[in-house]
Amino acid sequence: MTDGDFLRVSDVSKWYGDEQVLDEVSFGMDRGDVTVLIGPSGSGKSTMLRCVNRLAEAQEGSITLDGEEVLSPDTDVDELRREVGMVFQSFNLFAHLSAVGNVALGPRRVLGLSEDEARERAADQLERVGLADQLDSYPAELSGGQQQRVGIARALAMEPKLMLFDEPTSALDPELIGEVLEVMRALVDEGMTMLVVTHEMSFARAVADEVVFLDDGRVVERGPPEQLFERPEKERTGRFLERIASHD
Amino acid sequence: MSVAGPLALAASDSLGALAPGTASGETPLTAAAVGSVSESIDWWLVGEPADWWFVVRNVDYLAGGVLLTVGLTVASILLGFLAGFPAGAVEVYGEGLPKRLVSTAGVVLRGTPIVVILLVMYFVIGVPQVNLGVGSISPAVSASILGLGLRSAAYQSQIFRASLSSVDDGQLEAGRSVGLSRFEAIRYVVVPQALRRSIPGFQNEFTIVLKDTSIVFAIGLAELLTRGYDLFTQETTAVLEVILFISGIYFVLTFTTNRALDYLGTRYAIPEGESA
Repeated sequence: MTDGDFLRVSDVSKWYGDEQVLDEVSFGMDRGDVTVLIGPSGSGKSTMLRCVNRLAEAQEGSITLDGEEVLSPDTDVDELRREVGMVFQSFNLFAHLSAVGNVALGPRRVLGLSEDEARERAADQLERVGLADQLDSYPAELSGGQQQRVGIARALAMEPKLMLFDEPTSALDPELIGEVLEVMRALVDEGMTMLVVTHEMSFARAVADEVVFLDDGRVVERGPPEQLFERPEKERTGRFLERIASHD
Repeated sequence: MSVAGPLALAASDSLGALAPGTASGETPLTAAAVGSVSESIDWWLVGEPADWWFVVRNVDYLAGGVLLTVGLTVASILLGFLAGFPAGAVEVYGEGLPKRLVSTAGVVLRGTPIVVILLVMYFVIGVPQVNLGVGSISPAVSASILGLGLRSAAYQSQIFRASLSSVDDGQLEAGRSVGLSRFEAIRYVVVPQALRRSIPGFQNEFTIVLKDTSIVFAIGLAELLTRGYDLFTQETTAVLEVILFISGIYFVLTFTTNRALDYLGTRYAIPEGESA
């Protein structure tokens, strides 16, 4: 398999105290690729994702984004996060700001746009995720699906070159998952580079260029979705997929 | 403020039910009004009706006390906020020496009786007179502001520490995920939410400081409560009147400020939907 080198994760290891949560994880993505991380809970997939924008610190290995080493002590993490958008499982919308305020904060304070420019950009992004009619709603006034779409708009407003999704639909009622996945599919169609942790196997099957199966902090198996889902090479992968399938 | 009030009292016959009004120069009309009320109301609770004139005659003396009470409260709360808010933030987000220093100072200030703090400020440290151009603040007043203000800072730091830590970590993380620095994420994301949550604790603190200003009598200042005490020790038949009167003033002060803070809380409340 040819590894992409837009985002290249090489032998990344991480420990919380004595407990090793990532064990020499490696994979790569090209620009425009969609890679989906799957695995049982506690397998380290969210931690892996968070190491990419350094919300978690990997202790060993290397992560390069567009040729730049992410894990170096010299890396400006604020600069890195400006270029890497993140969508959280629990949305984490700024509770005291309206939808437009949530999306405008980064452009206003980080990119230095004027109040009006930031608002305008925020309104555009909210329209992009289908929330043009909810600009002035506060997070508590929105449904979970709407909140998560604001979360996506907030990340997109920074014009990131990579988007990280940390179980974006896991906290949603089943009937609200669709609207979020629909927005994500649209991003895929636009060519966004996306690294996604999810349990939505049909989504992974439909849009992923590569699926990485993590268990116990290790990459058990990775490959194109049709191969990994239909003909998993490792027994553990098959067992995991069966367990997931029986709940679908 | 003058001490004419209590002295004037000596000249008037305070025991005469209707006489003192005219004796100390109030208009006969008001005196008559009080007189007529006295016939229709049972005065067992507050004593003789004439004793209210004692309060009226000394109202300028008490007003001076109100001024000092309000001035000390406002200055101490302000100083307490300016020092207490950063202190609370250091306790939540700081580490190492600054955090240890701040939390130790807080423990010491909260653990020391306010009288002792004032005596130390006034007699040991000897806070000097402060000139403000238009006027000057006496050493006793500046020592009081510093003492009450620092103690309030120690209490306010805990109000803000609690409200800052009550904001979910995900908020700070989300702020950082769009590229805000730690300081910016705290400033733009956590602080606005924390300040809203501090209002109830701050209302408490305001009320406590307001009433605790009376402790400045320990270094020779006479604010509202001390002045009231001065008065009723001179005119023992008007004890309840004086106490009720100054209680009324304290009530008005706390009630209005609390309502103002309530308003602030409602005005800036974060809108909530019916379902979340």
